[in-house]
Amino acid sequence: MEAKGYSFMRQTSSIVLRSVYKEYRRDEFVIPVLADLDLEVAEGEYLALMGPSGSGKTTLLNLVAGLDRSTKGEVTVHGQVLGHLSEAEVTRWRANNVGFIFQTYNLIPVLTAFENVELPLLLTSLSRRKRREHVMTALRIVGLEKREHHYPRQLSGGQEQRVAIARAIVTDPYLLVADEPTGDLDRTTAGEILDLLELLNREFQKTIVMVTHDPLAAARASRVLHLDKGRLVDEVIQETRVSIAS
Amino acid sequence: MKYFTYIFRNARRNPIRTFLTIASTGICLFLMMILLAFFDMREDATKANRVFNRIITMNATGFAGMVPIGRVPEVSRMEGVLAASPYGWFGGKYHDETMPFAQFSVDADSVFKILNEFRVPDSQLADFKANKDGAAIGRRLASDRGLKIGDPLPLKGDLYPVDMDLTVRAIYDGPSNRNLRMCLFHYEYLDEALKKVTMSSAYGGSLATDSARTSGNAGMIFIKCKNADVMPSLSKKIDDLYRNSEFPTRTQTEEAFGKMFSDMLGDLQNAIYGIGAAVVVSLLFVAGNAMAIAMRERTSEVAILKAIGFSKGRVLFLVLTEAILVAGLGGALGSLGCKALCDVVDVAKYSAGFLPVFYVPWRIALLGLVVSLFVGFASGVVPALLAANSSVINGLRKVV
Repeated sequence: MEAKGYSFMRQTSSIVLRSVYKEYRRDEFVIPVLADLDLEVAEGEYLALMGPSGSGKTTLLNLVAGLDRSTKGEVTVHGQVLGHLSEAEVTRWRANNVGFIFQTYNLIPVLTAFENVELPLLLTSLSRRKRREHVMTALRIVGLEKREHHYPRQLSGGQEQRVAIARAIVTDPYLLVADEPTGDLDRTTAGEILDLLELLNREFQKTIVMVTHDPLAAARASRVLHLDKGRLVDEVIQETRVSIAS
Repeated sequence: MKYFTYIFRNARRNPIRTFLTIASTGICLFLMMILLAFFDMREDATKANRVFNRIITMNATGFAGMVPIGRVPEVSRMEGVLAASPYGWFGGKYHDETMPFAQFSVDADSVFKILNEFRVPDSQLADFKANKDGAAIGRRLASDRGLKIGDPLPLKGDLYPVDMDLTVRAIYDGPSNRNLRMCLFHYEYLDEALKKVTMSSAYGGSLATDSARTSGNAGMIFIKCKNADVMPSLSKKIDDLYRNSEFPTRTQTEEAFGKMFSDMLGDLQNAIYGIGAAVVVSLLFVAGNAMAIAMRERTSEVAILKAIGFSKGRVLFLVLTEAILVAGLGGALGSLGCKALCDVVDVAKYSAGFLPVFYVPWRIALLGLVVSLFVGFASGVVPALLAANSSVINGLRKVV
């Protein structure tokens, strides 16, 4: 019998995926990526997604972040059904609600740390002075307020990722999505970045959804979900491993 | 304005590519400005001649045909004529200059009554009239060659088999948009020299009597009329008078005479406009290619911008503005630079008397700037649309 997607429901859910199915079309080929997936993530939860390459982690992350649309099913984030929004609306929604952290930092190389962090604020109507206040606050949180004039090439990998985190939080979004945030970092620096994410989750109540291959990174999350072939197959809550199959 | 830092930094991200794009746009527009200004200015100069109430009589077959000198007094006596002078192009060489200045044989007594926009000090004018080997030269010509009153001005005949050993007797001045680089000398001085040569055994009388280069040829007749109203009837009267003669004439206003030169360049003008259009199109491809490469290199950055909330329109605006900025800089350097250079450097000096003055009018410089902005817009529109419509997922795939 074919296994049905498992449901992971929380009581105060702010991210809800219902029967989400996602497929990609490459020429005449149809490639299913996520199958009948149900998932709930509580407000302020720190969720790690693990699984082998091609298991659908990043696709799931993209759906939650409003970067992609499901083929079937419904994705609701913070009460907003993303499928009901037009492309322009979902872009605006992302600007207000989601912060992005990527494996390769993806800072704009021609802009300083300050200007990189300021970038999302350019979309707002904040004055120059207000923007500066917000940026400096974000840089202070990540411990780089003294590096505001540095260009990405003048920063270490860990510092670049901190700037990327500052950029992700500068608009005070509700949700942070991180795709392999420590994938390019050494163990010590990765630990610092994970400390920072933990801080954002604990102190600032940010809901975090993180994709990682690193078990040590996943161990920092309050919940770990394992995907395989587009299905959720396993869940670990804090240090209590729960076998879904059982 | 708050996006300017981002746009400006991106524009100079690859300095060599940006420099090359700016330079190619600038150089092309610089050359275009020269060509467009040349035609525009000629038209301007032609129109400016309207106010002087002058007509020009030449041989009906063209410049090579003869206008007998005896017709000058005949025309002078006509009703409505204030003054008339022979006006023959000498085209001699000054020292070893390959690009000399305009030289005309004229009637010293009447020429400055006809060219009354020029001013000559009375004493110099009297000297010029009194000395058959005298020359009246323009202020700019005097300043270019360092000539002053009393200096010799030897002209070696090129079209004519005679040399003119002239002496500067007068320096005329006038409005800056008029030709202040001419050399005017006595018609009689040239004619006497030609008579000697024609009769000389060295030439064996080889110059046929109907040749325009023999003595007795006025070249053209420059006529000052009492007012503009008499010009059409006077022109007709002159041409009617000589219609059935050996040397029929064609008389036209100075404006029409100038336009005739422009018309002679008509095909060339069209060819140059065609080349100019081709240059703009190729420029568009060069700038478009540079922009497309720049955007291809920034695929993931565009994806990041869109991920963090930059709308399609905003991405389109950023890319287009960058393209317009780069091309506009090139255009500003090329068109405004050309204008500034032509305002500072006297280009007409190097035109062998063909151009009395040369300048780039503001409307041409601004047209160049607009063309460069259009090139920027057109070269950026495809990369901008591609960037605006690119998939965030595909863009991030490179790095995620």
